[in-house]
Amino acid sequence: MTTLHAGTLLSPEERLARRRLILRDALSLLTLFLITVVIFTLTLFLYRSFENHREELWRRWKSRGEAALQAGRPKDAVEDLRSALAYIPDRQTEVELATALADAGHTIEATAYFNTLWESTPGDGQINLQLARLAARVGNEPAAVLHYEAALDGTWEGNGYDHRRQIRLELAGYLISRREYNQARSQLLVAASNAPDDPAIKIQIAALLEQAKDVQSALGIYRAVAARRPAPVPAVEGAGRIAYSMGMFRVAADYLDRASASPDAAELPDAERAADRTMLDISSRILLLFPAFDLPARERSQRILSAKNLAHQRLAGCAAANSAAASQLAALVTRWDQLPARLTAAQLEQQPDLEQTIVQLAFDTESVTSRICGAPTGDDALLLRIAANPIAVEQP
Amino acid sequence: MTPESPTDFQMPVPVTAGAPAAPDSAGIPESSPVSATARTSFAATIDRIAPTRDERLFLVLSIFIGVISGLLVVAFRIAIEWIKILSLGSAPHPGQLRLLLVPGIAGIVVAALVMWFFPAARGSGVNQTKAALYVYDGYISIRTVIGKFLTSALAIGGGHSLGPEDPSLQIGAGVASIIARNLRLSRRRLRMFAPIGAAAGLAAAFNAPISAILFVIEEVIGSWSAAVLGSLVLAAISSVVVMRGFMGSEPMFRIPSVTLRDTRELLAYAVLGVFGGLLAPLFSLILGFLRPRMRAMPRGTLYLQPAVAGLMVGAIGYFGFPQVMGVGYDVIDQAMHGQFVWQMLLALVFLKLLATTVSFSSGTPGGMFAPTLFIGAMLGGAVGAFEKHFFPGLTGTVGAYSLVGMGVLFAGFLRVPLTSVFMVLEVSGNYSIILPVILANTIAFLLSRSLQPVGIFEIFTHQDGLDLPSMEVQREESALHIEDAIQPVAAPVVQGSDSIGKVADILADARAAALLVQLPDGSWYAMSPAELNAAAATLTPETPIQRALKPDRAPQLFPDMPLDSTLHYFPRWPLLPVSNRASRGTLEGVVTLDDVLHRYRSSD
Repeated sequence: MTTLHAGTLLSPEERLARRRLILRDALSLLTLFLITVVIFTLTLFLYRSFENHREELWRRWKSRGEAALQAGRPKDAVEDLRSALAYIPDRQTEVELATALADAGHTIEATAYFNTLWESTPGDGQINLQLARLAARVGNEPAAVLHYEAALDGTWEGNGYDHRRQIRLELAGYLISRREYNQARSQLLVAASNAPDDPAIKIQIAALLEQAKDVQSALGIYRAVAARRPAPVPAVEGAGRIAYSMGMFRVAADYLDRASASPDAAELPDAERAADRTMLDISSRILLLFPAFDLPARERSQRILSAKNLAHQRLAGCAAANSAAASQLAALVTRWDQLPARLTAAQLEQQPDLEQTIVQLAFDTESVTSRICGAPTGDDALLLRIAANPIAVEQP
Repeated sequence: MTPESPTDFQMPVPVTAGAPAAPDSAGIPESSPVSATARTSFAATIDRIAPTRDERLFLVLSIFIGVISGLLVVAFRIAIEWIKILSLGSAPHPGQLRLLLVPGIAGIVVAALVMWFFPAARGSGVNQTKAALYVYDGYISIRTVIGKFLTSALAIGGGHSLGPEDPSLQIGAGVASIIARNLRLSRRRLRMFAPIGAAAGLAAAFNAPISAILFVIEEVIGSWSAAVLGSLVLAAISSVVVMRGFMGSEPMFRIPSVTLRDTRELLAYAVLGVFGGLLAPLFSLILGFLRPRMRAMPRGTLYLQPAVAGLMVGAIGYFGFPQVMGVGYDVIDQAMHGQFVWQMLLALVFLKLLATTVSFSSGTPGGMFAPTLFIGAMLGGAVGAFEKHFFPGLTGTVGAYSLVGMGVLFAGFLRVPLTSVFMVLEVSGNYSIILPVILANTIAFLLSRSLQPVGIFEIFTHQDGLDLPSMEVQREESALHIEDAIQPVAAPVVQGSDSIGKVADILADARAAALLVQLPDGSWYAMSPAELNAAAATLTPETPIQRALKPDRAPQLFPDMPLDSTLHYFPRWPLLPVSNRASRGTLEGVVTLDDVLHRYRSSD
């Protein structure tokens, strides 16, 4: 280290001193280096020992936190996971802590925590999903949709395909809850087109479509699943329920009958089974009342006559009970008056146009009287249901 | 290392190292153990036989100092954590009896160690390092380093509300001092090693080299000195490399990027700056009030003060606020993640202030940096959460306000505005916060200074009976320049080609004390009447005056140069011409010794 610029001007004693100085400095630096090595070794030993202990504590608190989280004790999980993070701040534990905070109802804290995590990995599917849920919780719809979509496009560990489908369904559910049915339907149709051949998933999608008011698509999926053997009861029951709501009583009766006959029907909740039974009874009765075209001519005429009598009695009852509504019923009364006073089934079966006129008059009578005199009961009510969409009743 | 006993190196070096001087009441040694004359003699010899030795050793040793300081700070941090886990448990929470007892017991042990073995380990370490630089020729004893390490680790790990940064700074300075002493560097070099080690220690403690360098420049050295800047950087970088090798390179705190969607939001940060500017002097005031009173108590109570302080801190932790115990970085992180409501944050501000005040005033070794950051972060979080509650349109997160709050109190309390800005950037690794930080820190700094003109380190210095330079005052002192003393040219001005006779006539007519000769090359010569007379006596009157001049020329001086730079020319020149930088040879005026002295006398 020592420089020898002045070498030529030095006396012999000074040159000797300079050599000694060089040796001394070299030895000093060597000693310093050795001391550094010793301190480094001691520090490394201390560090490794501490790291091992820290890792042990981290593992202990992390496992406790995860157990608490899984056991539905998010508050305990928050404390435990926070302790774990004090020792080793790993990302997974941070995500778990943020999740625990969210589960514990600390929405603001959880959002802040997830935002921090999002900052470092904005494309992380899990983080975006959690942020979407938190935004949904506080009613921030734009942020929720944004993060749900980012979660759909984001990266996922493991089976990303399954994660994305579940998120799409969750997003659809959220949109339904916000009455954004069109957007929800779009997501569900994408999910349906990409769904694997798994009845449970298809049934889930169909149920959501049903909630999104897309009963046609829902019915299609239910029926496709119900065509499997063995047919899953929820699909059969769902198809029957939707067909019933759409006025497709032939189809409804068929599926509801199959559902009630299935040995798996016992797994359905009692209330649901009772509702299914009611729907099946109504559908069956409607099919008995409905003057379908494919019936034998005599039988069809008899059903039309029965409907005529039923509707006429309903009109008379309504007019008697509500004399103030005479003017509103006048048009109907006129139409009724124009019908032949006496008709037999045999006569009617010869006059298809008259059949159609009577059927339409019966339906119109039920509709008008229901508006003036309130909802009908019994077969009148069933006639009214048929009147709502008579074409659908026998639709396959 | 060079042994402190006599060596085989037979240079005249009467070194008396080995016995540390007795510390005074402030825990600072009264004098360096190496006699000044011995060191001067040794330095003179070295200057002769190896004139560049010190300069080169200086840089190499800076790296060693950085590495060793970094290693010791890593060990120090681990020691604190070990002690904390062993004494307070791996997850302290309110209601645990150990929280109540451990800080008190730690206080007793620390007090005994300080009183019996390590009296110089008291306090934070910043002023002790400044004292080493300005009073003790860079001397910090090895006992002080060991004592600081042990007692600070025990106190902080035991729950006292203090931080590890200032002790790390002193440990680094001590390492530098020990190494430099044993290499027998010149006194000037020796003195400069303390701040270099301080920068290394602080850089490792904060994992922030720029802030450490700036702090040492702002608070310890007081000026940008090219002589030490290179070594400061080398030492700081070396120590941070070591620290990151062990602890990783992640920034201390992480918050999302701050996007100022509307510049009006800066007003919200300005409000935070105002709160910081009000809280900082309050903190100084309480510390400045309590510390001397506790120190003035009978000596016997000094054994008990850390224990009582520990008991108070423990009580705060036991009854619901364990967050105030120890360093508190994890709590700062939680605040930055918005895990506390503003009422809790506000409670932590005042409880931490109380805990830190009693811990520090009791003489327990430990630093003020971490508590300052803690209080600032909680204040920032509280103000941010409060503002966001009433102005939900604000886009900044509570974390961003916490981060800015840290810088705000750092600037207002420690009075290091530049360091405070870079510290926030470095500990968060987040540059996007810079605008709010600069604004809020500046407001806090200016407000705090107007309310409490004397900075906290200066207050401690006066309480310790020392008279160290105030860096804050130094920074604001305006140096005088030549333009402050310059006078119009009243002396006769002649050309070099003019004859001696003509020049003599001009001088006689003017009755001036000197004349200026302008030479063909644009240079100037200031001639006294005596010199002219001497020339006239030996040369003919027709001889051009330039032939009578001595070979040297008047120095080139310009109006913007420091005024003191003229002083050493006056023994040679009766007056000094001051030139225009843009036009060589054009005179702006002249200065005489009387002008300069008059200017200095009237500069108050």
